[in-house]
Amino acid sequence: MAAASGIKGEDRERAIAGWLFMSPTMLIFGVFIIVPIFFAIYFSLTDWNGISPPGEAQFIGLENYRTVLAGGGVRQADFFKALKNTTYFALGVVPAQTIISLLLAVIVNQAWLRFKGFFRTTYYFPSITSSIAISLMFLFFYQRSGLINQVLSAVSFGNWEPLAWMADPRGLIHIILEAVGVTIRTAPEFVRSEVLGLTIWDWISGPSVALMAIMFMNTWTTIGTMMVIFLAALQSVPGYVYEAAQLDGASAMRQFRSITLPLLRPTLFFVITLGLIGTYQVFDQVYVMSSGGPAKTTLTVAYLVYQNGFANSNMGMAAAIAILLFIIIFTLTMIQRRITGSEGDL
Amino acid sequence: MSKKWFTFLLVALMAMLLVACGGGTTETTAEPTADAGEVAEPTEEMAAEPTEEMAEEPTEEAAAPSGDMIELQLMGWSSSDAENARLQEMVDTYNANNPGVNVTLSQVPDYDTVLQTAMAGGEPPDVFYIDSFRLPDYVAADSLMPIGDQMDDPDDFFPSLRQAFTINDTFWCPPKDFSTLALQYNKDMFDAAGLEYPTPDWTWDDLRAAAETLTDEEAGVYGLVLPADMARWIAFLYQAGGTVANDDFSAMTLDSPEALEATDFYVNLVLDGFAAQPSDLDSGWPGEAFGKGTAAMALEGNWIVPFLQDQFPDLNWGVTEMPAGPGGDATMAFTVCYGVAADAPNPEESIALANWLTGAEGMAQWTDLGLAMPTRASLSDAWLEQFPDLEPFLAGADYARPWQFRPGFNDVMNAFNSGLQQAFTGTYTTDQVLSDTQEAGTEVLGNQ
Repeated sequence: MAAASGIKGEDRERAIAGWLFMSPTMLIFGVFIIVPIFFAIYFSLTDWNGISPPGEAQFIGLENYRTVLAGGGVRQADFFKALKNTTYFALGVVPAQTIISLLLAVIVNQAWLRFKGFFRTTYYFPSITSSIAISLMFLFFYQRSGLINQVLSAVSFGNWEPLAWMADPRGLIHIILEAVGVTIRTAPEFVRSEVLGLTIWDWISGPSVALMAIMFMNTWTTIGTMMVIFLAALQSVPGYVYEAAQLDGASAMRQFRSITLPLLRPTLFFVITLGLIGTYQVFDQVYVMSSGGPAKTTLTVAYLVYQNGFANSNMGMAAAIAILLFIIIFTLTMIQRRITGSEGDL
Repeated sequence: MSKKWFTFLLVALMAMLLVACGGGTTETTAEPTADAGEVAEPTEEMAAEPTEEMAEEPTEEAAAPSGDMIELQLMGWSSSDAENARLQEMVDTYNANNPGVNVTLSQVPDYDTVLQTAMAGGEPPDVFYIDSFRLPDYVAADSLMPIGDQMDDPDDFFPSLRQAFTINDTFWCPPKDFSTLALQYNKDMFDAAGLEYPTPDWTWDDLRAAAETLTDEEAGVYGLVLPADMARWIAFLYQAGGTVANDDFSAMTLDSPEALEATDFYVNLVLDGFAAQPSDLDSGWPGEAFGKGTAAMALEGNWIVPFLQDQFPDLNWGVTEMPAGPGGDATMAFTVCYGVAADAPNPEESIALANWLTGAEGMAQWTDLGLAMPTRASLSDAWLEQFPDLEPFLAGADYARPWQFRPGFNDVMNAFNSGLQQAFTGTYTTDQVLSDTQEAGTEVLGNQ
């Protein structure tokens, strides 16, 4: 009896010690993450301007949400424009970064590869470089006489018409349509009807040249991190599985499809989730490179939050958009989780 | 033994955290205004100073300091090294001449965010910069004290600048300095084209004709560099005789024929190929394109002067007043004032500081740099003697319009700039630009 209660006491002591060890983190987490989330939810229901003390804000219920989702004015148009841009951004960046990083991970994981350390470091480097510094550097690359245009001009033997990348608001799909002779003036009438504050023609614009420039840079900076995650997963796949497959006469391609991919499934889910969250929250590169311009084609949801909070003195609206962004990301992650089917693994 | 120590340490840490958090909240919520200035100071100083005990005592202590230093915080954005250093010198001068007051200067990057959070947190700096464009937002939030008329001789400030900080007949804060838009021209390029230099009585037609002559598209040289920016276009709007909204801002007036005329003129300069955007000239802003010599003319403010002297010292350029449009002369005045918060803990001393900074002595010391111009008419002669070449900028003060509208006007500016960018690529008509902006403006005005 005495011995048993002694163990119990020890357990309790351990539990207390455990909680104590956790408490600093939990406290910080609570104060800086949990409490602000509740504040954000509250402020999204007020007309707080972000300047006067928050106590003076008026409670206005769901008014901010109504304005953003169904207000019919410039706020609604801006929100859906931002959502459209961000979605094009994610549709381009997430597949690109996932596929390229997986490819790179498989390559640098090859036993025969020499200078592995060098390649791994090189590919990872953009991810640990300051995003602001990279953005500034790319601003120069994207100038009309900048590096990107020069390279494109060289590989196309001078047939490339130089672009002022960051100042070009034309959408990719619009450009393609124009090439086959369809413009806003020749398109059928229905594209001029408005859906959620934007015309159908606007909805199908595709990412603008400026946005594509940021997408390319964003992909380049994120593949390193994703590659490391894939690499870690690849290295936990035991070598004998491949050896067995080789003995059975499986080709390299077959091995990749039947062994590597299925075993990487949880990691794939993780990487795509990270990618989705990262792309839907993209802010710093827009802030540095374009401030949402040209013609609001690089306006992203996260940047819209900032703009409303700190340039328009409308913190309530900013909070509402932030909450909507959270709901969007959460929903997308849930859908994606269903598709990749990795409930059990995470 | 070591385990006990750990537990002790953790408990101590938690206690500290709790105290820190608890302390913070009580200070911001329960504390009367008396000591808010000190609270904003870094904690090490708080511990060192005896003033901390004052919080316990009645408020008269703070109001009638007997030998105690009054701490004031002056906050502005960080700009060039020369400007930052000069402002610090001014603060040092002020501190030396005003025993009993100690002004600390903080020059912060990302200024708007910092100021806004400081205000929302209930601990604003004592005296701070406010841009005229942002003024309506701060006034609407009731966060400013109207101090303009408490300055020495407030009528000495240029009327256009008083107007930039006047809302509903209240002159909120004294302008610290200002810049106006003027026309910069590259003398060498004018000589090479055999053109006369621009003069103050140029009209739109002269500007367009010169831009056409100076343009050499093959060589990538344009007559004029024009950004897709409302802050430049608006000068043309006023030159055309148009306005953004009516006098009491109850309705937008961008559907006027004058607005269309101004926009057509501005956009057509680009569409006809006589002007280019900075991005098409490998530049981040018009000043850069002008300095590189890819544009023969630019329409910028005083800030272009130190930039060109510093980056393109060999450039042979001149400056004259903006051209006149069908509606007469107009330019824009961009200006910043010294504001004092509505619930400033030391209003008297804060106002005195703002008064000195915008008074004869402080302003002369500031504008001595030649970057921005004195806002007082009485100081302009002395300044002109020092910088005779910059006369066209100062001349603009007589007919300059303020860059100040209504709270939330940032949305209107964004709508306009977005439309203008599309008009420059030919995908939007000038009608569409204006109707979009008119619509956005009507919505913003309607929300008030």
